[in-house]
Amino acid sequence: MLNPNLFPYLLGLSAFLFSVGAMGVLIRRNPIVVFMCIELMLNAANVALVAYGRFLNSQEGQIFALMVIVVAAAEVVVGLALITQIFRLGRELDVDDLSEMKE
Amino acid sequence: MTVLFAVVIALAAVSSLGVVLSRQTIYSALSLVLTVSMLAVLFLLLNAQFLFAVQLIIYAGAVMVLFVFIVALLSPDAEDRPTLDLRAIIGILGVILVTGLVFIAARNGITYNTNGFHAIQVGSASNPYHTFSFPPDAVNNAGNVQTLASQLFTNYLLPFEITSMLLLVAAIGAVYLTRRSSQ
Repeated sequence: MLNPNLFPYLLGLSAFLFSVGAMGVLIRRNPIVVFMCIELMLNAANVALVAYGRFLNSQEGQIFALMVIVVAAAEVVVGLALITQIFRLGRELDVDDLSEMKE
Repeated sequence: MTVLFAVVIALAAVSSLGVVLSRQTIYSALSLVLTVSMLAVLFLLLNAQFLFAVQLIIYAGAVMVLFVFIVALLSPDAEDRPTLDLRAIIGILGVILVTGLVFIAARNGITYNTNGFHAIQVGSASNPYHTFSFPPDAVNNAGNVQTLASQLFTNYLLPFEITSMLLLVAAIGAVYLTRRSSQ
């Protein structure tokens, strides 16, 4: 059995990754980096799910983590398609300049 | 074992800071590769072997290659390091606050209820971590992929099918978004 004292550190890592990702979304202006920070937040949720599943002897955490990975992959595909399209339109890659979707 | 956990957790935390604080976009991407790889090792240590493989193949493989590819294709200008303005200070305080609160909450054992109405007591009172709907270590003794698949294709079949639909919609959406608009 895994040492139960490890659980707070895993949950702390999850909270740390999530808040660092949220901070990155707020302070960075490059949309590619913003997407990476969103990936970081989704991964933080996965850590919490897997850690809870491990310490509660349940497998649901891993199943939901799998769903989160699929959603993250779909989100990356659409997001990077949007970024390439923005680049093709000749706009600057800066989320402060891209505050509206219209031309 | 504990030392390995400490190293993996520390590397994941430091490289996640690298994602946010890197001056160049490509360094952010490479830091994120390190972060997701460390999380894959963490999943392996937590007895989630299938998620370890999926994390390496999908994240460190497909998603990060896509990111690096886009960064190389678009070659965004080198961005200045985020300055230490009011936004950044509030962000750093937020990170410390959230991490500290969650850590203290987990430390004091209030993040999940070991005698809630849906918790079935199967472990001993001295080890409250053995309290849920599965017998102790039954999940971890069986083959991980086997038990995961048996649940995924019975209890969670509908969410599984919906995620496949989501992937299809995402693929069609990406093709639609990146098409060349030739009137």
